[in-house]
Amino acid sequence: MNPPPAIEVQNLRYRYHDGTEALGGVSFRIEPGECVGLLGPNGSGKSTLLLHLNGILPDEPGANGTVRVNGALLSRANLEAIRRQVGLVFQDPDDQLFCPTVAEDVAFGPQQLGLVGSEVKHRVQRALVQVGLPDFDQRTPHHLSHGEKRRVCLAGVLACEPSILVFDEPTSDLDPRGRREFKALLRQIPATKVIATHDLELVVELCRRVIVLDRGVIVADGLTRVVLDDEPLMLAHGLEKPHILFHRHPH
Amino acid sequence: MKLHLLEPHHGRLNTVIQRTPAELKLGGGLVIITLTVMLPAPATVWLWCATAILGLVVLLSRLPLLFLLQRLLLLAPFVLGVTLVNAFQPAYRAHWCWLVARSVLCLLTVLLVSNTTPFSEVLRVLRRVRVPTLLITTLALMHRYLFVLVEEAERMRRARAGRTFTARRRWQWPVLAGVAGQLFIRASERAERIYAAMCARGLK
Repeated sequence: MNPPPAIEVQNLRYRYHDGTEALGGVSFRIEPGECVGLLGPNGSGKSTLLLHLNGILPDEPGANGTVRVNGALLSRANLEAIRRQVGLVFQDPDDQLFCPTVAEDVAFGPQQLGLVGSEVKHRVQRALVQVGLPDFDQRTPHHLSHGEKRRVCLAGVLACEPSILVFDEPTSDLDPRGRREFKALLRQIPATKVIATHDLELVVELCRRVIVLDRGVIVADGLTRVVLDDEPLMLAHGLEKPHILFHRHPH
Repeated sequence: MKLHLLEPHHGRLNTVIQRTPAELKLGGGLVIITLTVMLPAPATVWLWCATAILGLVVLLSRLPLLFLLQRLLLLAPFVLGVTLVNAFQPAYRAHWCWLVARSVLCLLTVLLVSNTTPFSEVLRVLRRVRVPTLLITTLALMHRYLFVLVEEAERMRRARAGRTFTARRRWQWPVLAGVAGQLFIRASERAERIYAAMCARGLK
């Protein structure tokens, strides 16, 4: 028997309190181990969709469409179990790093999972090694560079050992080196990945499949090179054909 | 806002004071402040004793004098401003001097403790003496986001300054009020996002 899809979203709708429709009936499924790029112009509903994947939105789960994670329907009752499986990396690292030191921040997730003592320490150290910052445990978040903050955020999520990782704009505000390093890091992580981004080159390099969202609905879902090669489609939805696809033999 | 005045000094120095356990520094600081505040005026002997102790700590900690003076001057108006009126009344002048001495000693104690002890250590001691968790969390978050908020205010100030072509005071006040309001809205929106990030990592 095939394993259930890592994520299955059916007819998901969401309206903000001011009446703005953010998602107007979104359906897709993501298989275990897939790396999927989520594209769309500003305000297309990407971040709102990501917040639905581990139940931060909506306020009443299941009211408008369904989200299934590894086969389990997301509901108020299994919110905790779902959040163990889906790790969310936010766009602004300052939102995610709220503890006085890096070690305490990375330890937050494991502690919430009920772990104590040496197991927490072990996970913190392993996560920091994984993101290439093994000696950063006693550093204060506000003294880190933007790229380092991003990596600590990732360590904080990796320490919870989720099977699905969801990224909101992981390379925004990073310098080329920071981008390159973060991309290499993403490539190494074996989990199922959903990456919402405007960084089309990152999508071409890391994701086999993309989903394009515009005004809260999916306008394209398919192989990255096919979707991104369709220039009229890209331009119609506030995107563009990435430079890398103009070169048949990238230099 | 001068962000560097909020920054602690520890980390670069490694003297006997920096290495002293946080429990001892916090406990000692508390004793000095309590005695300075509680002893009835004029407790001259104690004032000299406290000055000697703090002077010794300043020397041993190798904190630059200018660094401490700047911060003392920044903090002093909060305490002394309230009692400033006494300075101009001859009958209360001695009382004013007593207040200045006490306030400077207390502020210096706080400055010395906070600049020789990492904040995470302070929180650890508070946790150990069973201060309510909610209070510790509030302190930790306040310390963490103080810098983020100041940076945000600084960015807004620069953006405003970049488009301020005439310096008419009459116009400045409403703009300043707007900036304060904006900062409040941004802070509350950030609080929502932080809470979402906490929930995403399994906050119960």
